[in-house]
Amino acid sequence: MKKVLVLALALLLTFSFVACGSGSKDKDASSGKDGGDSQTLNVWCWDPSFNIYAIEEAAKIYEKDNPGFKVDVTEMAWDDLQTALVTAASSGQTEELPDIFLCQNNAFQKNVTNYPDLFVDISDSEVDFDQFAEAAVGYSLVDGKNYGVPFDNGTAVVALRTDILAEAGYTLEDFTDITWDQFIDQGKVVLEKTGKPLLSGIAGESDTIAIMLQSEGSSLFNDDGSVNIANNEELKSAIEVYQRLVKEGVLLEVNSWDEYIATFVSGSVAGAMQGCWILANVQSADDQSGLWDVTNVPKVAGVSGATNYSAQGGSSWAISSNSANSDLATDFLAKTFGGSVELYDNILPKTGALSNWLPAADSDVYNEPQEYFGGDAVYAKIVEYAGKVPSVNTGVYYYEGRDAVSDAITKSLGGADIKTALKEAEDTVKFDMGQ
Amino acid sequence: MSEQLPTTQKKTGLSFSSKRSLTGWGFLLPASLLIAWMSFYPMVRALILSFQTGPGSRLTFLHPFYQNYARMFKDEMFRMSLSNTFIYLIIQVPIMLVLALIMANLLNNKKLKFKGVFRTAIFLPCATSLVSYSLIFRTLFANDGFVNTILLNLNIIEHGINWLGNTGTARFVLILALIWRWTGYNMVFYLAALQNLDYSTFEAARIDGANAFQLFTRVTVPQLKPMILLTAIVSTNGTLQLFDESWNLTNGGPAGTTMTMSHYLYEVSFQKSSNFGYASALSYVILLLVAVLALIQMKVGDKR
Amino acid sequence: MNSKASNISAYVFLILAALCSVFPLYYMAIAATNTSVDVIRGTLLPGTHLFQNFSNLVAGTPLGIAMKNSLVNATSLTILSLVICSIAGYGFEIFHTKGKDVVMNILLLAMMIPFASTMIPLFRMFGQMGLVGSTVAVILPTISTPFLIMLFRQSSRDFPHEIIEAARIDGLNEIMIFFRLFIPTMKSTYSAAAVITFMGAWNNYLWPRVILLQKETMTMPMLISNLKAGYVTDYGMLMLAVLICTLPTVVIFFFFQKSFAEGISGSVK
Repeated sequence: MKKVLVLALALLLTFSFVACGSGSKDKDASSGKDGGDSQTLNVWCWDPSFNIYAIEEAAKIYEKDNPGFKVDVTEMAWDDLQTALVTAASSGQTEELPDIFLCQNNAFQKNVTNYPDLFVDISDSEVDFDQFAEAAVGYSLVDGKNYGVPFDNGTAVVALRTDILAEAGYTLEDFTDITWDQFIDQGKVVLEKTGKPLLSGIAGESDTIAIMLQSEGSSLFNDDGSVNIANNEELKSAIEVYQRLVKEGVLLEVNSWDEYIATFVSGSVAGAMQGCWILANVQSADDQSGLWDVTNVPKVAGVSGATNYSAQGGSSWAISSNSANSDLATDFLAKTFGGSVELYDNILPKTGALSNWLPAADSDVYNEPQEYFGGDAVYAKIVEYAGKVPSVNTGVYYYEGRDAVSDAITKSLGGADIKTALKEAEDTVKFDMGQ
Repeated sequence: MSEQLPTTQKKTGLSFSSKRSLTGWGFLLPASLLIAWMSFYPMVRALILSFQTGPGSRLTFLHPFYQNYARMFKDEMFRMSLSNTFIYLIIQVPIMLVLALIMANLLNNKKLKFKGVFRTAIFLPCATSLVSYSLIFRTLFANDGFVNTILLNLNIIEHGINWLGNTGTARFVLILALIWRWTGYNMVFYLAALQNLDYSTFEAARIDGANAFQLFTRVTVPQLKPMILLTAIVSTNGTLQLFDESWNLTNGGPAGTTMTMSHYLYEVSFQKSSNFGYASALSYVILLLVAVLALIQMKVGDKR
Repeated sequence: MNSKASNISAYVFLILAALCSVFPLYYMAIAATNTSVDVIRGTLLPGTHLFQNFSNLVAGTPLGIAMKNSLVNATSLTILSLVICSIAGYGFEIFHTKGKDVVMNILLLAMMIPFASTMIPLFRMFGQMGLVGSTVAVILPTISTPFLIMLFRQSSRDFPHEIIEAARIDGLNEIMIFFRLFIPTMKSTYSAAAVITFMGAWNNYLWPRVILLQKETMTMPMLISNLKAGYVTDYGMLMLAVLICTLPTVVIFFFFQKSFAEGISGSVK
């Protein structure tokens, strides 16, 4: 045993030396860790090539007018961030929270409603919310008060392989401003001539349905927060479209996110419909450069208020109420994400992070032709779509609703009656709400 | 329970034995205090929480106080996750433990070559990170994955099976993954326990003409009983608290039909509009079930 | 039964089991040498991207810090845990009384409640003590586990009481008996326990993630979790990180396995 102990300690020491050696570089970078430093803001977010890069660029711009200003970013996956938020809030130990954190749009209402003490109301701050896309602001708007600065644009797009369309005798025009009926008819032709489905989706997840539903200006919840599933005609028509997509083979169902990405990266599926953030994945296959292009989503025919515009995902910055620097944090966000064309110009080429802040769309960077998308200025297109997305209420029980509807879709694809399945889904959500 | 200890105590006299008993309590003290502080105190807090409701730290007591528990009986998702968990338990634990026993026994053979290689290989799955293991299981069992390709080429099936898309096959894949991951883990304990066995009983049995199989069932297994009991309790506990596979491999799908109790508990706590009161009540039900099963196993297995 | 035939079937069985077990590791190693797009497309052949993946990983993540933190946490937990739990397990068996059985059964309950539900109260406790973010807060909840106590108690049943009696007559006190006689004899159990405890601590994720909120305290599982958090996952780099994260456990296993599995080498008695 003594030998074992000695060996274990020796092992530990060697490893630590190795680790210290290779880690010394990083240590320097973080040695300025604050405490009461009034010029440093702590930030939690999760993607080094996306939102972390963006906030660090924002800090550089803000620093020009505010010498000494810094952000200290802790990288934390969204699921982990949500868990940490709930844990800190529920145990009453909020001192550990950062000054600013990024929050998924779909979870924003839930978190503000459940933990109002964590958020700062920034309705009357310097941030001009009229300059943001209405739908994007809507996610962080609770009881008429603004709690978040929109960052990541979740505008829905349909990305298509133009070379495969051409094989079947179509152009991108034929898929722009159309209805789902047209989409399915043309999709059948594409499938017949090329053997490739136009879309893919993850079985048992309702992203596709959610996009259709928002394009109809509807959601799973009424404005007063009550459930709107069983008698939701818009939802029913969206599910019917989805069932036809699957039945006709125009949409290929797979079982996981990795498989989903693989379908279009490997070229076995001719397109994708998602929030525009999916383009980062689309562009990962170098050999498909120039073959893609982007258009708006089909609309659901026969529904009043149906549009060709929708959204999926996205995120917004929130300021934590425990922050000693909440004024600085608000000013920082207002002057960068809510007021700097330069910022959005800087981050677009590297991250593909699109602005929800409408003035940014006029900049030249947004109008540059994109080689990967056959020379189309897709970013300007998407920001234009963003302004037309109907704003809907995600509600506090967004995840409950989403899961229940996903289950209903799985059941109805397995042969169950839609009406009964949706009734069950509504009962499930009501049960979850009746705590 | 014990028959040997009272005799030793009689021999050494009462004053000694009471002094020794005190020393014994001293041996237990650090571990017991730590458990009381780090587990029981939070458990009591969780029990109080299970009578409350509300988001965040704004909790209020329920009237009647057992409302969270009553709620469970009407909770379809909970009922589903409960039956899923028991399906996994009943099928997976026995297969895994028997496999682990057989492997440990084979690997304990002195004459076997490349023992170290085999042992390490079979242990590897439980050291492998979930990220890679769920990724590869999903790849293997994808619609156009490795498993379907082989079955199609052997003409065993006519169309590819949507393994993770159907309830029955998804549960099968999940159980397979569990067995794959944890058999080596249990094998480690059996190998350690085999070390402490009385070698002379093997010699005696061999002289009596027992073959390898008889040696295994009549000599090895009975002597390993304390360790088998321990692994059975731990595996039962682990399966009833199963989270990782349900979360990473199938994400509970299709339509929640592979979701486990702990996965549901986690969703109620963190994913959905968080409700710690109800989550705590759920955890006490899991506690109760594990405790009852452990008690039964101990009654059956712990006769010295 | 023909011993040659049974020997061959044993080899076949073991080779099959070993192949099945190793396949994901092979897959991981292959993936670590490929580009992300090739991994997603399902290649099973080695690529040429290993060095690129490694330099991306070192440049893009605090690999050194995470490795060091994980090692410090897992090693200190393993040593403390082994000492404290084996003393208790030994105490339960050697100084066995009815009362201690009751205590053991109560302690077992602690293992049966899902961690997710005690996490909030624990977080509050550490918050009040001002220990959030410290190594102490990470390891304290799992130092003493009913499972290890029980493992040592079950193993102590094979420890011959005559040795203890003899030692007592020789005038050794109880603590010396434990350290000088029990620990060396129970080497195989300690080795197995060390492997398992180290592995559990190394891979522990939920609690460290919640209690360690600063980037300086990041551990390997967190680093891996962050790698797949963005919109685009670099699967090649992710698999390399996973591979690096797996290695220490495998090394520890390889190092300790000799002492818990040498074949029945004779009785301790």
